[in-house]
Amino acid sequence: MDLVRQERWTATSPALPAARRIAGTARPAGTVRDDLEPVFRAEYARVVAVAARVLGSRDQAEDVAQEVFLSFGRSSVPAREARGWLTVAAAHTALNLIRSGRRRTAREEVVGAEPAIVPDVADAVVSREEHARVRAALSRLPRKQAVALVLRHSGLGYAEVAAALDLSVGSVGTTVRRAESALRKELNPHASPD
Amino acid sequence: MRHPTEGVLRRLLDEPAGVADADRAHVASCPACLTTLESVRADAGAVGAALGSAPRVDVDAGWARLAATAPAPRAAAPARRRRWAPALRRPAVAALGFAVVLSGAGVAAANDWLPIFRTEQVEPVAVRTGELVALPDLSAFGDLEVTGEGEPTEVADARTAEERTGLTVPDVGDLPVGVSGEPSYQVVDELSAVFTFSADKAAAAAAATGEELPAPPPGLDGSRVRLQAGPAVAAVWSQDSGLPVFAVGRAVAPTAFSDGVPFETVRDYLLSIPGIPAGVAQQLRDFSPEGATLPLPVPADMVTTSTAEVGGREATVLESRDGTMAGVVWVEDGVLTAVAGAVSTDEVLAVARGLR
Repeated sequence: MDLVRQERWTATSPALPAARRIAGTARPAGTVRDDLEPVFRAEYARVVAVAARVLGSRDQAEDVAQEVFLSFGRSSVPAREARGWLTVAAAHTALNLIRSGRRRTAREEVVGAEPAIVPDVADAVVSREEHARVRAALSRLPRKQAVALVLRHSGLGYAEVAAALDLSVGSVGTTVRRAESALRKELNPHASPD
Repeated sequence: MRHPTEGVLRRLLDEPAGVADADRAHVASCPACLTTLESVRADAGAVGAALGSAPRVDVDAGWARLAATAPAPRAAAPARRRRWAPALRRPAVAALGFAVVLSGAGVAAANDWLPIFRTEQVEPVAVRTGELVALPDLSAFGDLEVTGEGEPTEVADARTAEERTGLTVPDVGDLPVGVSGEPSYQVVDELSAVFTFSADKAAAAAAATGEELPAPPPGLDGSRVRLQAGPAVAAVWSQDSGLPVFAVGRAVAPTAFSDGVPFETVRDYLLSIPGIPAGVAQQLRDFSPEGATLPLPVPADMVTTSTAEVGGREATVLESRDGTMAGVVWVEDGVLTAVAGAVSTDEVLAVARGLR
């Protein structure tokens, strides 16, 4: 039966669990890091803010933040790198969401009980239409630019953005500037809300 | 002096203290720079407004939600006797992980995740048993961190399995001769794994084989690839003895994300690492991210492979050389389905074609 076993296993689950045994830094199943709560309390609002800037929806952003903290809880990311890791992960997860609606749908089916996505806009100042354009434009930016942009606009300092993205501090300004310039061009400044 | 770059002007808006005095002095007295500074400021302001401001959040409620969904202690789940031989699973992991890494690579912690691989088809990689075991264990080249419970859990019925995984449990029409009774249902939740390439580890691994690691391409050290797979569900029919004789499974096919370090660069580099059997390297060379092919390693001296059509899709058929076992696997819309058992090829194909 060995063949069948292997085949069945390979086919229905790509056997990633075995990786756990060979992982150098994996946390034992079912345990979370001790400092999860303090880190959560300190960074949750910021992580939600990062995702909300990408998604334009607080509800979706909170879902992303939950996912990111869950991953963080199982990780062994050093506490001093937590903010950078969490915000970068939130930005990427959110960008991946807008990039692939298909995956999100699949996930929602799995989660099942996930609350309905309310088309809320974090800030009434910005219309939904404009948010849609921002999201589309963000997803077209080179990923690093998009993440740097969102992190910077979420209040991370240049040194923090640099550390989180493995950039030199000097190049953060350039990266953010390029992103803003590209985004500004994509957002039609003359669009009227008609 | 030279005009500072727009990047410097951008920082001047946010962190003037981070800009060199000379640059600040220049900008203050340079009409051209001041004009540029204004447009930089306007763009930053417009983009900032478009991105919106931070929503108000309830941290306590957020924490309560996280605490409720955090992993439950393992003891809560009924322990299931492991029937799948670990020795056979491990090479499959290595092969999958390796193929995915070959499909691209990424950069540090959660950087630049880009979808680089989504399984669209399955292709057998014929290897000899000896080589299969020798497929590179990825832990030799970096760290692998797995998120999610990988253990299959038995659930009461198909409906529970569907609710838990969001996948439709394949409905088998006529069972092959010799397979009877009710199946047991097993589920595996979504798994993700992050592989971080480490030049130091890879060098140590190479040294262990008495060879030197080729210099990694720039940016590869610390690179990460995130693999995502599952959830999965399987209906398993067993003999009275408890040995599984027939199984039908379905899983969300593996997907990989990276920051888009050029695939060719990473592939060529990994293929150059000492210790990879030449035959395997050659076969893996044929895989590309465009093909999005999931390699299914099969021991060439025990199994033959061929293709057949199942529901209009090309499926990979595996048959043991002694004719006692057969399986068929295919991917459709990102979902992988497999039918396998101690039955003939015709029988697995009949079941596969009869699935709803």
